[in-house]
Amino acid sequence: MISHPDLTGDLSLLSPRDIRLYLDDFDDLTLDLRGEIHHRVGVQRAFPFNAPTKFIVLLNSDGAEIGIVRDLGDLDSDSRDALEIALEQAYFMPRILKINSIVSNFHVPTWDVETDRGHRVFEIPSSRRDVRVIDDVRVILRDADGNRYEIVDYRLLDPDSIVFVETIV
Amino acid sequence: MANASEINLLEIPPQHILDGLIPSHETVQLSASTDICLDGTYGTAYLLATDKHLFAISPNGDSTPHTERIPLSEITNLEVKDLFGNSLLKVRTATTGTTLARFTKGQNQKFNRITHQLETLVKDARKTEEKIAKGQLGRAISGRRCDVCGTIISRRVGVCTNCLDTRKLLYRLLAYARPFWKLGTLSLALLLTSTFIGLTPPLLMRELIDGVLAPSENYETTFFRDITNSIYGMPTGYEILYFLVGLLLLINLSQSGLRAIRSYILSVLGQKITYNLRNEVYQHLHRHSLSFYNERETGTIMASITQDVGRLQDFISDGLQEIIRDIITIAIICGILFTLNVKLATLVLLPTPLLIIATLKFGHRLHRTYRGLFRRWAAISALLADTIPGVRVVKAFAQENREVGKFQTRSEDLLKGEIKIAGIRSIFSPVMAFITSIGTLIIWLVGGTSVLDGALTLGNFVAFTQYMWRFYGPVESLCRLNHRFQRAASSAERVFEVLDTQPDVTDRRSAYAMPAIEGRIQFDDVTFSYEPGKPVLKNLNFTVEPGEMIGLAGHSGAGKSTLINLICRFYDIEEGAILIDGRDIRDVSLKSLRNQIGVVLQDPFLFNGPIAENIAYGNPDAALDEIVAAAKTANAHDFILRLPDSYDTPVGERGVRLSGGERQRISIARAILRNPRILILDEATSSMDTETESQIQEALYRLVQGRTTFAIAHRLSTLKHADRLFIIDKGELAEMGSHAELIAYDGIYARLCRMQTELSKLRAW
Repeated sequence: MISHPDLTGDLSLLSPRDIRLYLDDFDDLTLDLRGEIHHRVGVQRAFPFNAPTKFIVLLNSDGAEIGIVRDLGDLDSDSRDALEIALEQAYFMPRILKINSIVSNFHVPTWDVETDRGHRVFEIPSSRRDVRVIDDVRVILRDADGNRYEIVDYRLLDPDSIVFVETIV
Repeated sequence: MANASEINLLEIPPQHILDGLIPSHETVQLSASTDICLDGTYGTAYLLATDKHLFAISPNGDSTPHTERIPLSEITNLEVKDLFGNSLLKVRTATTGTTLARFTKGQNQKFNRITHQLETLVKDARKTEEKIAKGQLGRAISGRRCDVCGTIISRRVGVCTNCLDTRKLLYRLLAYARPFWKLGTLSLALLLTSTFIGLTPPLLMRELIDGVLAPSENYETTFFRDITNSIYGMPTGYEILYFLVGLLLLINLSQSGLRAIRSYILSVLGQKITYNLRNEVYQHLHRHSLSFYNERETGTIMASITQDVGRLQDFISDGLQEIIRDIITIAIICGILFTLNVKLATLVLLPTPLLIIATLKFGHRLHRTYRGLFRRWAAISALLADTIPGVRVVKAFAQENREVGKFQTRSEDLLKGEIKIAGIRSIFSPVMAFITSIGTLIIWLVGGTSVLDGALTLGNFVAFTQYMWRFYGPVESLCRLNHRFQRAASSAERVFEVLDTQPDVTDRRSAYAMPAIEGRIQFDDVTFSYEPGKPVLKNLNFTVEPGEMIGLAGHSGAGKSTLINLICRFYDIEEGAILIDGRDIRDVSLKSLRNQIGVVLQDPFLFNGPIAENIAYGNPDAALDEIVAAAKTANAHDFILRLPDSYDTPVGERGVRLSGGERQRISIARAILRNPRILILDEATSSMDTETESQIQEALYRLVQGRTTFAIAHRLSTLKHADRLFIIDKGELAEMGSHAELIAYDGIYARLCRMQTELSKLRAW
């Protein structure tokens, strides 16, 4: 393959040494970029499923891109903690531990599940568009209202739950 | 090209016509029949060439045939014309012109070859190397006739039914089963065993009745009696009963067991065969050049992988074994029946021909009616597919009633068809039941009489009845054999057609890997046609320097896309050569060539999968950094971040829908990531609104830096960065130069520019 000489030059990567992230008194993520302060910074994962700790895009309060944190691990521990809290808030995605039942009413399956955040019942309008399988074992669900759920590896669920999942995916 | 002696010297006109026509010192070099006479009636006329003259001989009613004679050395021009209803061959000399042959379009190919051979003869006679022949005929209509036998091929079947050699095909199919012969033999053995075992219960029944329940004096000691005797000494009736019941239980049990094992083995066998076949077909599909796909419908190609292969599996694993089982069953039952009682057996088999005839007749009709019904269903689907998307038009023109009426008519057709089928089906089973019952009646009548007479034992009577019932099933299923064979054979043919077609663009044996391309592209007298006789590009000569950007413009159909296809070597050229950095592209391996070419198409295709994967389609190993950077360079990063899952958002049929401009930017990112040395932009900015276009322009501008680029555009403003413009007109390079030069030249390009300026004025207004 042909090597790529200068593509990375186009990335607006933020050098870990230049930035400090913290939660301000309003509990909003704040970015100190070489003394330049950005309040109410938004966070977005460029690869939410395939690389959740890499390529974190920081956005200013207008939603415009300030820059990209290439790897969460490169940050100092305080900044990393702050960023992780912000990410956790933004990407709320309970893990499904057990499927109690999937009942279909007029082709809309209602899932009754136990998650790591507690018991939950939700509807999946289209198992074609709203159920996604990554790497053959990881299942991402989106319910009728757009909430997300995740099954980390469906083969590790109990046998009944596996049967439920396999009828859908 | 075929040489002269090979062709139709067989089609020589009758000797009495030839006598006196041809000077004795000349020998016939070429002779061919036509199917339209020169006076325009159907009939056989002839075209004949010696080493000195060209003759045309055309019948003229009952009188002497009309003949034409032209010395070969005077011929200046041979022209074949493909006209609306027929084709003809016109020959010109310096002073005259004569039509020498007329023929139907089915003969076009033949006359193509003949013209070529005539040209050679004329050249020899005139001692010249000038080009004499002009124009070539297209093939009649490609794909409608079989290449071998000329039979019309139905589009639905897709293969020539006349050339279909069922036996050969099946033999070839079996070759795919050969690696699994152990499994096959095992399942066949199981099949035979279970068939044998399955046929014993009536014999036991006979034993039970004649030996125990109603002991008969005529009863001869049998094999079973021998066994029971050896176990029990002199057994009582009860003991024999228990023994027989136990034996029956054992038989049923073993039969169920055998059936289970056999069906599992069969499935495994069938699936393994299809697994191999399916993969082989798919792999072969990807070796074909684009012309393979141009000639076939996508649906047909897909069906050969999904349906046809499945049908073959069904036939190899199930069908064949069932046939063997049926034949064996019939043979064994016949054997047993005749052993039991010859006279009765003959009588019982009497209704069999009736049964065969009825099955064949009904089967045929049912099949035909079903086909009609299928068409009616298709008509309804077609109507729906037509009107529902067009509902705006229907409403706008207030044609609802008419559309409803149309639907009702077709729906009624369907109703009638369904009723007809229902009629046939409801007659079918009672008739069959009646025919089989005749057999029973015969047994009751004749057999019953024999029992009363004491000529037949009750046990034999019962055994007879039971075997008869088991006899008719296999007979019926064998009657449907032909249909089954036909279906499997046509599936096999389609599959093998894919496998047998040799890819026309392949690596030469001496092909070497293209070294890193610098970017000099040279067209050396390139002529190319998709169909013989209709060149799309003619005698192209040009050189493009490394890093140069060439804009291709011209009317649609002028050959711009073809030129690009040739650089990618999607097709091979017939004349001339295309050189990249001085190397003929036919000498290097396809992979190494295409690896260094990037393509951005008008309507970019995204595969099902995440955006990141689509960007990295050409370089699956690309680092995330590179993907994001490529997206940024292509002005795609910002809109990707707005998607629900950013770079992990699935696109394609099962994912989010992207606009044309967004897809375009992804495909640009794809090309950027690949970092190609030669870049091809095929209408990359058409059909986009102005703002999107400027973003894409910007991205493209970054992309073309330092790469040899060919860009096709209808909107000429897109080509403003081009170093040179090539104007292609009717397959020829009509104009070449910079924008300013071409405007000054005031040719095609200048005219196109003026037209577009007018248009944009109109838009602004």
